[in-house]
Amino acid sequence: MKAICNREKLRDALAVVNNVVPAKSTKPILENICLVAMDNALEIVGTDLECAVRYRIEDVQVDEPGPVVVPARVTLDFVRDLSGETVTLSTSEQNCFISSGEDTCELVTMDPEEFPVISRFGSEDTIPMQGGTFRRLVDRTAFAAAREAGRYAMHGVLTEIDNGMLKMVATDGRRLALAEAPIDARHAPAKPAIVPTKCMNLFCRVIADPLDQVQLHFAENQVGLKTKNAEIFGRLIDGEFPRYQAVIPKESKNLVEVDTQTLIQKLRLVANVTGVEARAVRLRIKKGEIELFGQSVGRGEARARLDADFKGDTAEIAFNPDYVLDGLKNCEELQVRLEFNEKTSPGKFRLGENYIYIVMPITIDA
Amino acid sequence: MNSKTPTILHVDMDSFYASIEIRDDPSLAGRPVCVGGPSDQRGVIAAASYKAREYGVRSAMPTAEARRLCPDLVLLPPDFDRYTAVSREIMTIFRQYTPLVEPLSLDEAFLDVAGSERLFGDASAIGRQIKREILRRTGLVASVGVAPSKFLAKLASDLSKPDGFKEIQAHEVRELLDPLSVSKIYGVGPRTALRLEALGVRTIGDLARRDKAEVAREFGATGVWIHDLAHGIDTRRVIPRREEKSHGMERTFPTDVSDREELRLSLLSFCEEVAFGLRDKGLRGRTVTLKARYGDFTTVTRTKTLDHATNLGPRIYSVARELFEKLPPGPLRLLGVQLSGLSDVRVPVQESLFGDGGPGTNAPGGSSYDARLKLERATESVDKLRRKFGDRAVVPASLLGRENLAGRDGTDGRVELDGGE
Repeated sequence: MKAICNREKLRDALAVVNNVVPAKSTKPILENICLVAMDNALEIVGTDLECAVRYRIEDVQVDEPGPVVVPARVTLDFVRDLSGETVTLSTSEQNCFISSGEDTCELVTMDPEEFPVISRFGSEDTIPMQGGTFRRLVDRTAFAAAREAGRYAMHGVLTEIDNGMLKMVATDGRRLALAEAPIDARHAPAKPAIVPTKCMNLFCRVIADPLDQVQLHFAENQVGLKTKNAEIFGRLIDGEFPRYQAVIPKESKNLVEVDTQTLIQKLRLVANVTGVEARAVRLRIKKGEIELFGQSVGRGEARARLDADFKGDTAEIAFNPDYVLDGLKNCEELQVRLEFNEKTSPGKFRLGENYIYIVMPITIDA
Repeated sequence: MNSKTPTILHVDMDSFYASIEIRDDPSLAGRPVCVGGPSDQRGVIAAASYKAREYGVRSAMPTAEARRLCPDLVLLPPDFDRYTAVSREIMTIFRQYTPLVEPLSLDEAFLDVAGSERLFGDASAIGRQIKREILRRTGLVASVGVAPSKFLAKLASDLSKPDGFKEIQAHEVRELLDPLSVSKIYGVGPRTALRLEALGVRTIGDLARRDKAEVAREFGATGVWIHDLAHGIDTRRVIPRREEKSHGMERTFPTDVSDREELRLSLLSFCEEVAFGLRDKGLRGRTVTLKARYGDFTTVTRTKTLDHATNLGPRIYSVARELFEKLPPGPLRLLGVQLSGLSDVRVPVQESLFGDGGPGTNAPGGSSYDARLKLERATESVDKLRRKFGDRAVVPASLLGRENLAGRDGTDGRVELDGGE
């Protein structure tokens, strides 16, 4: 194989593909990437068997087509630190040479036959949408997904298409984000699928321009996304997503509206005194105002107040301020609305059009 | 004089609280920083940076006095959450080298590294590694003393402060101790020092030369103690501190029990008791361990960790019961339940959306927390009655009429278990 391509394009492509390559794997081949030179293009493929990326660089001068498998991390590091405008890739029996100007390195290769076969994007049943729409829904929800702890089914974003709406839901069992956006409704509804958070973030990374069209495809056990340069496939999480509809309050006794930025500012203020282990800010809601209160044994206590639109008598609820702030950061409205029934029942924040965020409160024993 | 090799380390952080404050706010560097209570509330200094000590400021000094000595004093309120977090980091480093760690406070501990030498080098090498690792991981400076005993190790770190490292070998003890003031001996306070001085004893060497019986006559048990220390004799061992890590109850039955229903009822009563014990101590536990011993003395344990810590009997029982039903069949000689992963009830609890069970177990509308709240309120009232009228005043209906049966040793065979690590 021999190919010459633009260094920056190669570097960017390697950086994207490296996101899925595991640093350490029981299957050493997965710590590698497969580069394939073909008619004026270079394809770079990487996978951890959960998620796979194929990234295509165009306008490559291919002198000799063919594949080569090289260590992912070293290749990226070397290409990143090169300085020339173009990079030449070539192979011998055993090695792969990467050179630019006077600088060169010789990498050990592995047999391309051993590299996992990654499927290609078909043209059937794909759902076209604007990249920006997809990315915005991920941004609005993925932060709420479980990370280390929690049930496996919560380590992803529930994605479904229904009635011309693309809907995403993520939860870690303590808070939940739900967002929807209209998409081209001519396509058949897709049944709910749990897409791993890592895969979702990777999808967003390859959406270079929000105005670009992307193609989404759901198969039995995988989801694929195609952009201008990239094809990504992720294995869906096989599990039962919590029945989230049941925990979204339908009617609420208490309904309060406040200025979003003021609430963010005051929450941060009071959160400063709360400890690492006991992060709780209490909201006491009265007619026309909210009082915030936070304390910790070693630090002391803090209070703040802000104007609020509230008609009821008084109500009280406490939240982990980090959870609330995570949501408020994405709030698209000047006024945020909070609804809840009891101090032990879920708080529902309305963060925008078709965008709600549920946070379970913190209960504090006297 | 014994010829023991040094294996005891005393690690003491230099001006710990103040150093953390300076580390986290570089603008404080080089300024006289103190952590303590405000002077208008009769606060005292908890820690002073070395710069502040140049002005004569000392820990335990009233803040008002410190202010007089050093008008430019930067006084910060203590942030124990943060100090505790750093302390944990440091203790974790210690435990990488030896399990024998005896913390004296947040910033000070004794370590016994006998037995760790083959892995990490001799005590002195370990001391240096620990000092380096503390600096690397926390950015803070420690003073380390290495010696054959606790007293000498602490003395060594004291003598070398700040940023010190000192090893005392058995053969140099005499030479080192002799010129030091007797007040350096742990247990010799200002008053004892005065009394010793009246006897013509000023230095440790003076004390060591006295007859032990004479010192004992004068000072009693303290006399024996300080005379030994003056000779560098200190046999105290490094004792890792035990915190209460678990709370449980088990019972050895008078005769092996095979009736499952009978065992379930026993289990229920243990769970109720354990829960009550936890509530009494203001604790909650997260991990339920069931222990069963069969007639042939084979013992099995089964464990499950909850999403949330609890101290409610029915909650514990539902988990213990689940574990119980998975036990291999056979008559039991002993049954017990234990809660670990204990936490203070005053720690606020983050509620969860979907309950502890698997998917779909959450009731619509999320009534699981409402149910829990009701149970908590009821439990509170029951506890009041139990405290007033005794443990058996209120019991679950299924346990009514169950009188205690004598066990194999004449007691009812119940053992309450409070465990350390």
